[in-house]
Amino acid sequence: MWLQVVLLLASCAPLVLAIFADEVNHVDFHYALLGIPSAQRTFFHRPSSSSNASLLYTLSEKSFLGAVNPKDGSIVWRQNLARWSSDAAAVESFLRAGDGENTIVSALGGCVSSWGALDGKLSWMRHFSNGPVRDLELLEHESSITNFNSRDVITLTGDKTGIIRRLDGGSGSTKWEFQDESGDLPFQVSTSPAEIFYVSLQPSLLKGYKIKVTVLDARTGQQTKHQILSSENDISTPESVLFVGSNTASPIIVWTDKGQKTLRINVVGTKQVHSVSIENETGEEIRRVEVKAPRCLSCLPHFLVHYETDSSSWAEVYHTDLHSLAVSKAYKLPRVSEKSVFATSTRFADVYFTRITESEISVMSSASKDVLGKWLRKQQADAHVFHAASEVVIKSDSAAVRFATVLDSGDWELVRNGATEWTRHEALAGAVFASWVEMDGGEELVHELEIEGHESLYGAYVHRVKRHTRDLQHLTRWLRELPKRIFTSLLTDEVSNLDGFGLAKLILVATQNGRLLAIDTGKDGSVSWNIKAAETDNWTIKAIATNSGFATIHAEDGSSLSVNITTGRIISRNPGTIRIKSVAMLTDEPSGIVIGVKYDGTPLQSINRPGHIVTLSDDGRALGWSIRNNKSPLWEFLPPRGQRITQATCRPSHDPVASIGKVLGDRSVLYKYLNPNLALITAVGDNSATFYLLDAVSGKVLHSTVQTGVDTKQPITSVISENWFAYSLWTDVTATSDAKGYQLSISELYESSVPNDRGPLGSANNYSSVYDLDAPPRPYVISQSFMIPESISHMGVTQTRQGITIRQLLCTLPASNAVIGIPRPVLDPRRPVGRDPTASETEEGLFKYAPFLEFDGKWYLTHSRDIADIQGIISSPTLLESTSLVFAFGVDIFGTRVTPSQAFDILGRGFSKLQLLATITVLTVGVIILQPMARKKEVDLLWQS
Amino acid sequence: MYISLSSSFFSFFSLLLLTLLKLSPVSASSITITIPPSNILPNPHALLPPSTHATLTTLPPPKSVSSSPKNEGTQNVQRESHILAAPMTRSSTFVFEDLRLPGVDASASYLLDIRSREFIFAPYRVDVAADGTVLGIWEAFRGNPWDNRGPEKFVTQAGVSSDVVIEAKVVGRRGFYEERSKFSPLSLFMNPMILLAIVASVLLFGMPKLLENMDPEMRAEFEKQSRSGPLSNAGRSALAGGGPDLAGWMAGASSNLNVGADSASKGTTTGRETGGSGRRRG
Repeated sequence: MWLQVVLLLASCAPLVLAIFADEVNHVDFHYALLGIPSAQRTFFHRPSSSSNASLLYTLSEKSFLGAVNPKDGSIVWRQNLARWSSDAAAVESFLRAGDGENTIVSALGGCVSSWGALDGKLSWMRHFSNGPVRDLELLEHESSITNFNSRDVITLTGDKTGIIRRLDGGSGSTKWEFQDESGDLPFQVSTSPAEIFYVSLQPSLLKGYKIKVTVLDARTGQQTKHQILSSENDISTPESVLFVGSNTASPIIVWTDKGQKTLRINVVGTKQVHSVSIENETGEEIRRVEVKAPRCLSCLPHFLVHYETDSSSWAEVYHTDLHSLAVSKAYKLPRVSEKSVFATSTRFADVYFTRITESEISVMSSASKDVLGKWLRKQQADAHVFHAASEVVIKSDSAAVRFATVLDSGDWELVRNGATEWTRHEALAGAVFASWVEMDGGEELVHELEIEGHESLYGAYVHRVKRHTRDLQHLTRWLRELPKRIFTSLLTDEVSNLDGFGLAKLILVATQNGRLLAIDTGKDGSVSWNIKAAETDNWTIKAIATNSGFATIHAEDGSSLSVNITTGRIISRNPGTIRIKSVAMLTDEPSGIVIGVKYDGTPLQSINRPGHIVTLSDDGRALGWSIRNNKSPLWEFLPPRGQRITQATCRPSHDPVASIGKVLGDRSVLYKYLNPNLALITAVGDNSATFYLLDAVSGKVLHSTVQTGVDTKQPITSVISENWFAYSLWTDVTATSDAKGYQLSISELYESSVPNDRGPLGSANNYSSVYDLDAPPRPYVISQSFMIPESISHMGVTQTRQGITIRQLLCTLPASNAVIGIPRPVLDPRRPVGRDPTASETEEGLFKYAPFLEFDGKWYLTHSRDIADIQGIISSPTLLESTSLVFAFGVDIFGTRVTPSQAFDILGRGFSKLQLLATITVLTVGVIILQPMARKKEVDLLWQS
Repeated sequence: MYISLSSSFFSFFSLLLLTLLKLSPVSASSITITIPPSNILPNPHALLPPSTHATLTTLPPPKSVSSSPKNEGTQNVQRESHILAAPMTRSSTFVFEDLRLPGVDASASYLLDIRSREFIFAPYRVDVAADGTVLGIWEAFRGNPWDNRGPEKFVTQAGVSSDVVIEAKVVGRRGFYEERSKFSPLSLFMNPMILLAIVASVLLFGMPKLLENMDPEMRAEFEKQSRSGPLSNAGRSALAGGGPDLAGWMAGASSNLNVGADSASKGTTTGRETGGSGRRRG
């Protein structure tokens, strides 16, 4: 009865209800991320010469270029540079900006582009085909400032043959080009007011490299002279050159000798090499030498050399004399037995250095040793600072500093005068796997109930009474909190706290660089904990299994890791022996059994219980196994020659079916083909995609469909749930098809084409997929395809507790950075084609088929948010039948809750409790006023009659 | 690290360079798409986010094996997708420079899409010759055969290759948010139930007051007039304890008003009798 009521409610709801504007940030959360900022490409920059306000710019390891507001850490704009650069393997990227300019120039691979610093829109873009960009500089020359107020750009491209170009800052057109034919290794360029220095590495006869500096005229690009520094004994690899200073009044080249005893400094353009002996008092091995120098032309030619050993760090500040071009040591920053990070900032001509150690932050000017500002710093564990970008403001004789640091945990933090202003969890940008975990809650009760179930009647009764008495201790607290709860629920607009209904779930997110984070959907997606789980740069996670308070993470190398869900403490580690291709999880067991699958498709272990798994092998076969036997497969599916299997999907582990049939307009029933062992296998050929629907027990092909003219390089995604499957791909014009564009196809499976008929299953009491003749029966398949405006990169299905709520097909749209949920009734393949629906079809909710399916704005779960580069989408049911949780991860992290049939079991924000109370009060007052009047009238009537 | 990478880069890029050199005619034209302000999109520069971009997509005909550097190992002739993307510039335009197909000496028919989350743009069909000159640009209709072209945007004059400038067409704007019905006292009073209640209470409280304050002569006249009216009958019957026949009167029973009045008066008597009997029993 209740089921019917709920079904009725669910079917009465309008097709889709979008998010309310006032529910944004309450029902959903979003981390707009950039990836971990890289040291050389993160800086503060004033985008306008008229204003003093600056933004924080970075080009991250994920090739995202973005501007961040330093006040609150929000993204002003961002661009995914990988989208415009064709070479995916680009290793080096560059980001440059001239102070006060409203453009910012980036380079990735062979692509150089200039962007509006305030709005992130393109100024110009150039693609170079002769190799990746090796270096990028802005020409700090008065004459180069064009009417666009943009400095000209000097680029160095090429692998073996370096080509230097001067590009116009306003249009990107090439002004001149210089090609280095000598075959030296292109290294860097550096500029001074009148000249451009091209630094290349000339392999010497025996070993090592000589540094060759070619001087070019900035106006014409003609070579004026060249110099070769004999550095072959010191420099064995390009990494040995510590620094090539650019855009300072006197650019320098810095390197050390092999034993790290002497520092060699050359002022570019001169032949002289200054040798400074490194003062290393303890004699400990120097791990790292780093040079920090300002970039702008008008700054003082001062620079800082930072030395780091395993236990201590110190630094020295050097000055270059502009007339004699001599380099002299100005002062030394004391050695501390902690790691230090230095950041350079400039203000007009002055140069300031910020030193960040584990215990303090100090700011000093490059000119003198005095510390201008000092703040204490408390470093948390796991918060080792990698690098920092700083900005210093000097007021009379006190200094204020703010700097953005990247921490070991992948967090990007802005610290202003020693206090943390904001933190961005940039580690999440590399999310590769995510999984819902059940927070510990009901397990104790389940355990207690189990005890009661197994005891005698009397014992169970006593146990229950005891349990309830124990529960009474919470009563006082509950009573105390009751008034507060009532008042807050009345006064705030907030939807009542639904965490008790399973809306507060934890999501474990594993990132590529070996970190594991927990995101709590109940607390607006805040990060509960963040741990370093593996020492790797390419962590591949195959599965996360949860079991009573801890989660086990299975990695590709066969290792597994158990963590406590609530604290993030690592409980145990199991080193891996065999690399696994995938993991099969048997979720029907309470404890959950995990079976790894090797790359040849063989399960690692056999378990004596019924069940079947389907695996894919490296050589392109699909194999069906009984869990009992991992020696020989039950069946093998080999696609035809020329096709290879790319994907296999099955129904979600939680896929309840509320109704086994579909009631038609004339009250007859089409029975759904509900086989729990369906596997949908995608095989691609040269320009075709074939979708095979297999019975996982017998291996029989139940249905197959072929698409031709398919672009197999673009995403082909598929999903299967209940009695339907959907896939999406790009098809082009072929001999048989006239359509060009992205397609979405949906197929529904029924037991028979005739309503009220169950086919061979109708009269059978028991049924076997294996032993019966011509079993399993083939489904009756109805399909429809739609043209869609853009590609779908990943698909999912919303999951609810009992499957009564209509489902939404979740699709991620990479082109418009969005996630949409298409309601299933829109994708009903029984929609009438070429005619208007009949009365009974209208009653079913069917409407006329249109070949083009425009994505309605109300389907956008991400509404106006920009969700970049989604790699996966997962859904989870809650205790509320109406509500399903959706989580998308990739570069950005997005979570929301969807109610495909409206929130029919909760009172939303539209329900005003105050209005209800006011109505009741008014009515009560009315009754109180009217009651004596009515009584008086009644009495009068009796007396007067 | 540098050396190994650079060598791999070299091999890749030298191959790329070779293919590019092999077919590098000079007469390639570029396409510039501008977004004119319209009713739906009055200010393209302010309303379009920097992620807005345009794509040209096609699946070119199969390339011959010899000229494909990427398919070294495989012998099959696969058609590889070709997607060109252009970000939005500061002047709200999209510029495509090189429209030739890489590795294939063939003409191409691209689908031009402008990708924006909030604004829907009409798709275009762009036909490009093998040397990169634009042959023609038409509006395309999704869900229709590809040859079913719409209005012509540009068609080349024979033998002239020039840079093409076309205008994008905004078709619509997506509404992401649901409007929440606002609570306003006015809407509450516009509710017919409330209006009825107000009228009823005005009659209940206001009429006796009005009658009391009336001129005695006028009152007498009013009472005389209202005695013959249906409302007073109904009112009297209601006062007498029977059901008000207002509903019946409103439902159109006014044509035979007397019948209604009669039955009402009958109801009055029965009501009075039952009342009386009840009192007697008590």
